[in-house]
Amino acid sequence: MSGAHREAIQKQIHQDWANREYIEVITASIKRITDFLNSFDMSCRSRLAVLNEKLTTLERRIDYLEACVTQGETLT
Amino acid sequence: MTEKITLADALSNVEVLDELSLPDEQPCIEAQPCSIIYKANFDTNFEDRNGFVTGIAKYIEEATTHANLNVLLDEGQKHAVMLYTWRCCSRAIPQPKSNEQPNRVEIYEKTVEVLAPEVNKLLNFMYFQRKAIEAFSGEVKRLCHAEKRKDFVSEAYLLTLGKFINMFAVLDELKNMKSSVKNDYSTYRRAAQFLKVMSDSHTLQESQNLSMFLATQNKIRDTVKDTLEKVVGYEDLLSDVVNICVHMFETKMYLTPEEKHMLVKVMGFGLFLMDSDACNINKLDQKKKIRLDRIDRIFKNLEVVPLFGDMQIAPFNYIKRSKHFDPSKWPLSSSNAISPQADLMVHLPQIREDHVKYISELARYTNEVTTTVKENPSDAENRGTSDLALRGLQLLSEWTSVVTELYSWKLLHPTDHHQNKDCPVEAEEYERATRYNYTSEEKFALIEVIAMIKGLQVLMARIETVLCEAIRRNIYSELQDFVQLSLREPLRKAVKNKKDLIRSIIMSVRETSADWQKGHEPIDDPVSKGKKDPDGGFRIQVPRLNVGPSSTQLYMVRTMLESLIADKSGGKRTLRKDIDGNCLMQIDTFHKTSFYWSYLLNFSDTLQKCCDLSQLWYREFYLEMTMGRKVNKCMVRHQHNEECKDLITMEKRIQFPIEMSMPWILTDHILQTKEPSMMEFVLYPLDLYNDSAHYALTVFRKQFLYDEVEAEVNLCFDQFVYKLSEQIFAHYKQLAGSVFLDKRFRLECEVLGFNFQSYPRNNRYETLLKQRHVQLLGRSIDLNKLITQRINVNMHKSIELAISRFEANDITGIVELEGLLEANRICHKLLSKYLALDNFDGMVKEANHNVLAPYGRITLHVFVELNYDFLVSYCYNAATNRFIRTKVNLSSTQAIQREKPPQMSHYYLWGSKQLNSAYSTQYGQYTGFVGAPHFHAMCRLLGYQGIAVVMDIILKDIVKPLIQGSLLQFTKTLMIAMPKSCKLPRCEYGSPGVLSYYQAHLTDIVQYPDTKTELFQSFREFGNCIIFCLLIEQALSQEEVCDLLHAALFQNIFPKPFCKENEKPEAKQKRLEAQFANLQIVSNVEKIGTAKQAMIAREGDLLTRERLCCGLSIFEVILNRVKSYLDDPVWCGPPPANGIIHVDECSEFHRLWSALQFVYCIPVRGTEYTIEELFGEGLNWAGCAMIVLLGQQRRFEALDFCYHILRVQRVDGKDEDVKGIQLKRMVDRIRRFQVLNSQIFAILNKYLKGSDAEGSNVEHVRCFPPPQHPSVISSSSSHYQDPQKLRQSMNN
Repeated sequence: MSGAHREAIQKQIHQDWANREYIEVITASIKRITDFLNSFDMSCRSRLAVLNEKLTTLERRIDYLEACVTQGETLT
Repeated sequence: MTEKITLADALSNVEVLDELSLPDEQPCIEAQPCSIIYKANFDTNFEDRNGFVTGIAKYIEEATTHANLNVLLDEGQKHAVMLYTWRCCSRAIPQPKSNEQPNRVEIYEKTVEVLAPEVNKLLNFMYFQRKAIEAFSGEVKRLCHAEKRKDFVSEAYLLTLGKFINMFAVLDELKNMKSSVKNDYSTYRRAAQFLKVMSDSHTLQESQNLSMFLATQNKIRDTVKDTLEKVVGYEDLLSDVVNICVHMFETKMYLTPEEKHMLVKVMGFGLFLMDSDACNINKLDQKKKIRLDRIDRIFKNLEVVPLFGDMQIAPFNYIKRSKHFDPSKWPLSSSNAISPQADLMVHLPQIREDHVKYISELARYTNEVTTTVKENPSDAENRGTSDLALRGLQLLSEWTSVVTELYSWKLLHPTDHHQNKDCPVEAEEYERATRYNYTSEEKFALIEVIAMIKGLQVLMARIETVLCEAIRRNIYSELQDFVQLSLREPLRKAVKNKKDLIRSIIMSVRETSADWQKGHEPIDDPVSKGKKDPDGGFRIQVPRLNVGPSSTQLYMVRTMLESLIADKSGGKRTLRKDIDGNCLMQIDTFHKTSFYWSYLLNFSDTLQKCCDLSQLWYREFYLEMTMGRKVNKCMVRHQHNEECKDLITMEKRIQFPIEMSMPWILTDHILQTKEPSMMEFVLYPLDLYNDSAHYALTVFRKQFLYDEVEAEVNLCFDQFVYKLSEQIFAHYKQLAGSVFLDKRFRLECEVLGFNFQSYPRNNRYETLLKQRHVQLLGRSIDLNKLITQRINVNMHKSIELAISRFEANDITGIVELEGLLEANRICHKLLSKYLALDNFDGMVKEANHNVLAPYGRITLHVFVELNYDFLVSYCYNAATNRFIRTKVNLSSTQAIQREKPPQMSHYYLWGSKQLNSAYSTQYGQYTGFVGAPHFHAMCRLLGYQGIAVVMDIILKDIVKPLIQGSLLQFTKTLMIAMPKSCKLPRCEYGSPGVLSYYQAHLTDIVQYPDTKTELFQSFREFGNCIIFCLLIEQALSQEEVCDLLHAALFQNIFPKPFCKENEKPEAKQKRLEAQFANLQIVSNVEKIGTAKQAMIAREGDLLTRERLCCGLSIFEVILNRVKSYLDDPVWCGPPPANGIIHVDECSEFHRLWSALQFVYCIPVRGTEYTIEELFGEGLNWAGCAMIVLLGQQRRFEALDFCYHILRVQRVDGKDEDVKGIQLKRMVDRIRRFQVLNSQIFAILNKYLKGSDAEGSNVEHVRCFPPPQHPSVISSSSSHYQDPQKLRQSMNN
């Protein structure tokens, strides 16, 4: 195996390492984005649940008050 | 978008994401929740092998075979899945009943159409196993070739061969087990033969082969064995495989539980394959080629391993079936001692300790990572992190193994009704393997371990990116340092000593993997010439990157290095001798540590595999065994005989009920025991369904399995929420009941030695109640909302029950009702801390049916009870201020019918059985009477509106009809019976005389039959009405006063402060005002609130202040209303003839009352009930009230018959029996009633006088001129004679 050939292969291997690192960095970043999306999802769900709870409470309250006020007939 | 973004920008954009705060309020008590999973797989399966041309050609070739074998292994896995998930089709296919059936051709055609694709899979399977066996035996043959035998076979290669052996074992067992496959195929064959589909000889032959293949048990195993036995020296290779498995198992060179179990299976099956006519494993043992004693120990420690899904295998069974089996060689495995794998409790302490240790280490690391930013962590730090990750994975894998191994052992060792008392005799096979096969401790331990696994998985997944980076950096630096630096020494030696083989191997290693700083090897490295480094040392800068080697690269490096250090290359001189010891050690260490690199580089995949507990749900094996039927045997307790056999019925079903399913068994166990320390783990067993569903989708790829998991989850989750909310409600209800329980009552109980443990055991429901997004099968569930809905309903039911109970009881129940509502209010308050429940008062109104209608159920029932029970059958007693039930019910109305309250669980009432009995004892004390507590409760529950309604109805519907109906009628009748005139006999007659006078005159009244019954009853009802109104007003006033006093502090009203002599009260008052200024509502709202709020506050304040100030009285109004009903002339009689007063005439009501009073003053004889006992003071109240309202009080007091007797008797003090009446006793009674009457008059007058306040102090006195003597009238002189004149005339 000639010296030049060896050097070329070593260069290629070197290049390969660099390329793969680039891929790893991109992959890791995508992973971080998915992690972010997951925690964003959780956070949103929890906040939406709280909001939903508030709305449900208000809705039920309105139902109740409506019943109190109308004495049987529904408001139209 | 054409805008270009640089990589650095893009990366910093990703960095920025971390800085966004994403709060999530809920405590994490569930397994890793993820909506998105991102997995990058860089495993190329040696596809890039040709890139490493500098590697040794032999190993590149080996990589090629490896790749092919891996493809076969993957295919084998697919066939295994196909077999395992095979569900019987033929049972669902209709069979033609006879050859004459007209549609039988159609049936057969459809059968072939439906089954053909399935049968095709079976054909493929047959061909595959043939191909795989050929490939395997080909490899074995190649490796066992005499020349090749001397060469070294790599560890990875032997392991792949081991995987093949494992695959054969699995496929063979699966094929044996699946009888439905055979049935389906024969159904297909019958149909196909009928339709003559298989016409050509090739297809026929193929079909014949397939049915033979399917029908022959152990076909694959035997074929493999037969083929191998033809290869000379195959046992050496197999013993290498077995040895490597033993070695790897013992040194823990595996990561996932699946690999661990594979190693054990290979040992068993490998030995079975080796043992043949030509080869005896016992002899191999003697030659130390294999070590049976070590394998024996492994087999004992791991008696049962999972084979596939819920199929298990005892590896030792292979040995038992082998030809030269000698129990003495297998002392441990042959013994009856129970394997340690069966006992989870043995492992638990160690697991706990490891868990705590590791978790704290990880927590420390996580905190460090999240709080500090480090640009470039050092190599040592990276190594530490990488080690941490590896240890975590190993722990997870170990725990998962413990769980699956216990589960496997239990499946293979089902319990029965002898071992477990709870297990019924007729329990099914699967039930005996799961449901009844675990003790309570075991279930708890399982839950705990599962919770540890899932919990740690979450923690590790959370910092995955950080861990992965450290892992990659560490692997890179270790690899490069080793290749570029450590390998220099052996290379130098090899060059120097002209060891060309070693030199070329080391060079290959370096060239395949080294990443030189300058892109190529330093040209002037003295090592390449075998020379020593210069004095200052030769400096090589090793770069640092964030990337690991590719899978092929790693394989090449490891295999080549292994060839350097291998010491078993079949007789040939090993290379070890030419490398010095130190280097050998370094290479060996590197080889060992790098074993785990492939796992670490695939971190997320490995993490998931190490935590996979999906197989706890799968039960295809058991379903196959029961063939979708449940056998119902004769259940009658008797000596079973032939006839019973007819009773055995089959129940068709395709799945087992949830009670036999492991995830639900564990979940339900927590719910049933309500163990506080386990409550927070309750979501972890449910996560097993996630695992199983994930497995069904990604590995089994079977829709129906996923559907079944989903169906079970739907069922279980409903149950779960139902049970959980029920017990949470029960818990808080019990707590409320205990809080509300009288403290002194509790103390008394303790003093009396009755250990009253009413408080519920503290539990950790709070954490569960905070869960707003639970991930289950990809859905996000708001647990809090679901529980809130259910508890709202429970709360409502509970209030409803309280009211229903009241409705089922008489008026005395009102005290209990108030208590119950109060306890419910406390419960509501406690729960509202975590749940958004409806407003409590709204709920009460709703349950009371009071939202739409003006009067609620409580008000109506109070009225009904008053009307039909209380007013007609209770007797009032002023001494106790209570009503009690009459001894004899004289009312004309029917006894009231009450609906029974619905039977409900204890927690709907007071919270628990104990509390219920305590409270029923307490409230039992209020059932015998109606008094102040009841009236107070009524005031509080009915409110102003309710009281007004009740009083109004009482007046209109009871008092008015009474007065204008029965009382008037009686009065009219009795007035006729009264003597026309009745004098007050002179004192000289003596009291007996007076008494007998009245007795004679009033005989008609006394003997009137209805007097003592209906008449008095009517009066009692009227009297009770009046007393009721009076008492209710009193209670209401007290409530109001209480209210006002409570409000006073907030309204700037203070009690007069105590002052010493020299203090000024004004100053002290001012100081008090200043001190409590911040409590005063109006001034504060004016200061802080809006104008509207201030106005509301002012108005509220005014309303509170003015409520009582005008001293309005309900009772007065009531009396005046009653007065208006007394409009009939009979009450007053005709105007007196003398124009002034009736003296002897009996025409006014008070005369009648005097007669009645005479009647009830006559003492009773012997055991007769007195009038007081029968009617109470209501009677007197009725009479007195009417007299007062008619304005006849003074006349009554002056002219009453009884009073007259009393007065006369006072003078003469006689006591005689006058025609059966004991005079003295009668007089005593009269005296008592006189006192009572005057009290009643006083009270009534107090209320009535209050009305005409102006001028009421002056009595309206009508002045009559004194009567004139007729003689005086005629003398026309005044009857008045001046005394002076009179004296003069006398003297004259």
